Amino acid sequence: MSFLAPLFFAALAALAVPVLIHLIQREKKQIQHFPSLMFIRQVPYKSVQRRRIHNWLLLMVRLAALLLIVLAFARPFFRTTDAAAIPGVGAREVVVMLDQSYSMAYGDRWDRARAAAREALNGLGPSDRGSVILFSANAEIAVRSTAERNRLLAAVPDTAPSSGGTRYAPALKVAGSILAESPLPRKEAILISDFQRGGWRGEEGSRLPLGTTLTPIPIGGPVTAANVTVTSVALARSTFSEQERVAVTAAVVNRADQPISGGTLALELDGRAIQTERLDVPANGSASVAFMPFTVAGRNRRGTVRVGADALAADNAFSFVVSPSVPVRVIVLSGTSSAGLYLTRALSIGDMPRFETDLRQPDTLSDADLQRAQVVLLNDVVIPAVLGRRLARWVEAGGGLFVAAGPRATWPQEADVLPAVLNGPVDRSRDAARVGGLEFGHPVFEVFRAPRSGDFSSARFYGYRNVTAAMGAQVLARFDSGTPAFLERRTGTGRVLLWASALDLSWSDLPIKPVFLPFIHRSMRHLANYREPAPWLTIGQVLDPDAAGAPAGTRLAITPSGRRAAIGDEGGDVLELTEQGFYEVRQQAGQAGDASMVVVASNVDPSESDLTAMDPKEIVAAAVGNGLSDGGASAVDIPQTPEAQERSQRLWWYVLVAGIILLGVDTMLSNRLSKA
Amino acid sequence: MSLLGGHQPAAVPGARFMDPAVLARIGNLELVARAVCDGFINGLHKAPYFGASVDFAEHRGYVPGDDIRRMDWRVWARTDRYYIKEYEAETNMNFSVLLDVSKSMDYGSAGITKFDYARILTACLTNLVHHQRDRVGFAAFDSEVVEHVPPSAKHMDTVLHVLDRLKPGRPGGNMRVPLHKLAEFFGRRGVLVVVSDFYEDPEAIVDAVTPLRFRGNDIIVFHVLDPAELEFGFGDAQAFEDLETGEQMPVVPDSLRKEYVSLVKAHTDALQQKFSEVRVDYTLLNTSQPLDHALYRFLGGRARKMRARQ
Repeated sequence: MSFLAPLFFAALAALAVPVLIHLIQREKKQIQHFPSLMFIRQVPYKSVQRRRIHNWLLLMVRLAALLLIVLAFARPFFRTTDAAAIPGVGAREVVVMLDQSYSMAYGDRWDRARAAAREALNGLGPSDRGSVILFSANAEIAVRSTAERNRLLAAVPDTAPSSGGTRYAPALKVAGSILAESPLPRKEAILISDFQRGGWRGEEGSRLPLGTTLTPIPIGGPVTAANVTVTSVALARSTFSEQERVAVTAAVVNRADQPISGGTLALELDGRAIQTERLDVPANGSASVAFMPFTVAGRNRRGTVRVGADALAADNAFSFVVSPSVPVRVIVLSGTSSAGLYLTRALSIGDMPRFETDLRQPDTLSDADLQRAQVVLLNDVVIPAVLGRRLARWVEAGGGLFVAAGPRATWPQEADVLPAVLNGPVDRSRDAARVGGLEFGHPVFEVFRAPRSGDFSSARFYGYRNVTAAMGAQVLARFDSGTPAFLERRTGTGRVLLWASALDLSWSDLPIKPVFLPFIHRSMRHLANYREPAPWLTIGQVLDPDAAGAPAGTRLAITPSGRRAAIGDEGGDVLELTEQGFYEVRQQAGQAGDASMVVVASNVDPSESDLTAMDPKEIVAAAVGNGLSDGGASAVDIPQTPEAQERSQRLWWYVLVAGIILLGVDTMLSNRLSKA
Repeated sequence: MSLLGGHQPAAVPGARFMDPAVLARIGNLELVARAVCDGFINGLHKAPYFGASVDFAEHRGYVPGDDIRRMDWRVWARTDRYYIKEYEAETNMNFSVLLDVSKSMDYGSAGITKFDYARILTACLTNLVHHQRDRVGFAAFDSEVVEHVPPSAKHMDTVLHVLDRLKPGRPGGNMRVPLHKLAEFFGRRGVLVVVSDFYEDPEAIVDAVTPLRFRGNDIIVFHVLDPAELEFGFGDAQAFEDLETGEQMPVVPDSLRKEYVSLVKAHTDALQQKFSEVRVDYTLLNTSQPLDHALYRFLGGRARKMRARQ
């Protein structure tokens, strides 16, 4: 028998209480006051003779009750001798986790890691079962729980490590699921890795089943060889002689203890080195290298910044894709040329994106113009019914329409695409109205969400159109009277935004407020459905062909290694990037030429090149609950099931009940004795 | 010369020995004192005037600094030498009672507590001395000085008043501290009466009392004990609680009576011997006995002392 809380035995000192009570109980009844016990104290008298216990039965009952209660609190339990619970006996379920992140390519780490994996698998007994998990940022089960050693050994890859980063949690979770399903009594996990600090972000729920032994096998070692990483590039666009140019600035980090002096950093474009710059980086420091601008001659130009060879090659190149920027074409329909002054000025500013503004009279708008345009802005103009219907069809086909409803604006009722019906003007020249209740969740107003990011309430409105919101319209802003000020309605695949006031100074001073320019820009971007193309992605991210601007239809992706993968067939509409280099996304063969092709650059995670190691005990402690499991020296006892634990500890309950019953007997005895 | 010379207490004709328990039931202390003293004095048929005259004691040689008014010119005329006349007693004597008011005095098994007995005794002695026109004073002490009334011919009422409102409350402890402090107050020669139950080591008691003699005071010590303390006549076994410390001790009286009585006897004998060694009158008083015995012992002792000095 053992005890869960043996410290409670200190309470056994309370057993002295009833004994003392029994000893001194009698003497307290008769007390003789006396001036001084000076002489009595000098008499050699054994007063203990007087101290005798009168009620042995009562005392015994009390002592037994106290003893039982203390015993119950000490939580006695019996140890079971279940053979299955004895560690070191029985077949093993072994899961080997092999780190194949690109940092394992440093030096001979990969060779040593594979050798360690093979050694672990060769150590399996005939009744043992093994699994192999290959992991980097994600984990995949190469072989699941088998006793065939050849299959297990064949699962150890002969190829180079992957291009992914390191994350331990997914591998531990997969290993935990294999071990949890295993019926074998002994569960072991072997983690072979260089144990980079960057791959461990806390426990992340990666706890192995109870009783599992986790053995870390570090394949690290000192980082002495040079290791330079191109962590990112910055692309600065400019226009020179009506040609768009891009200046590349690369950030380089030296993670070695030795400085780099006189190295080279090359900028390649479409596979050809066009510039080479000298590279000087201090030890454990970083540097920034700027290249001369180059002209962007065509779409999908593949750029790479590459540094000289070192011990870890994967992080030496950083790829990106540049294409000529595509402007957003906006047609502004205005009654007079001067009315659109603030609008055209606002739209003439900006590079991301650039707005190509065409100021027209309503009667000069042709279908060809509409086909070219992405956004049409009606700046307080009278729209005849014919034009209204044309615009409505264009919007339903995907166009973006912005209506600024000034005092002159009209819209034919039969073209039902506006988010509101235009009513008469409201004169607020004596009491200027303000705009409030902005829908900050909308893409147009999202940039104004943070404090001090633009104050619409500073603009004063002396007049606006009283509008009635249509079905399906969303009110994005209101005047202080509650009347909708800005509304949106989706029609077909296009959008319509309605501003219930003028965009010049006739009715408000909004055009001269700081919020005017971002408001117009965000509105145009939203209507044109504009997305900035990402010059590169990181391995582990997914490639969304729609976001990348790839042509619609069934698409084919060609990976940097030349593998072809169809997007949209079965694996969903996205493709996970696993290789370093340039992915090409095009329509299925024969559908179109290179003109519709989209190129996406894929780079390795630069944080993986930081080879700083962590203490494997940290992972062991988080995964199995203590840090003493390394090497299997102190294997955790395989625990009993909760029911068995509860059963073996239930004894305290009976002991406590017996103690309480004895207390009841004690009360009865005391009452009888006191009456007697 | 005392008027009491030759008389023994038992032979006093007409003396009324009043039961102390009866006296204790009389609330007015002055009345009690007067009743005891008057009866006592009436029984003597003579006023107990003592020390009221200037009694010549001896001549001694003149030393510079002596008051020349005390020079005996007749002796100078006869011998041509300067002599100073010295007298036995001052005209008016200082008389003070030092009463122990510790908690142990608040015990009585014979109808009167030791404290009440000592209080009546103090009142009687003070009244007696006051009739002789001597100055009366009073001091009460336990572990420190509780009350102090300096000797004065007008302080009779004050002493009785203080006595009346005194109550024993605090434990006694070492007598040395309060008695040594009181010794500072009695600068002029006089008679000091110490009344206590003396629950302390005899050496310590004598050590505490002796300094009172240093300025020429006559010391009379009354050791007041209850008959239960002297005879230990308890029957049942019971817990005895010390009145002063609260300490309890289970006691079977029958089994230790003999040893206890012998210890108390040894204690009183030791006190008797040690006080006599330092020329202090020691009297053991049993509270079951009438007060008159104490008065006779007091006056008898005074008379013997006067005779011895003449």
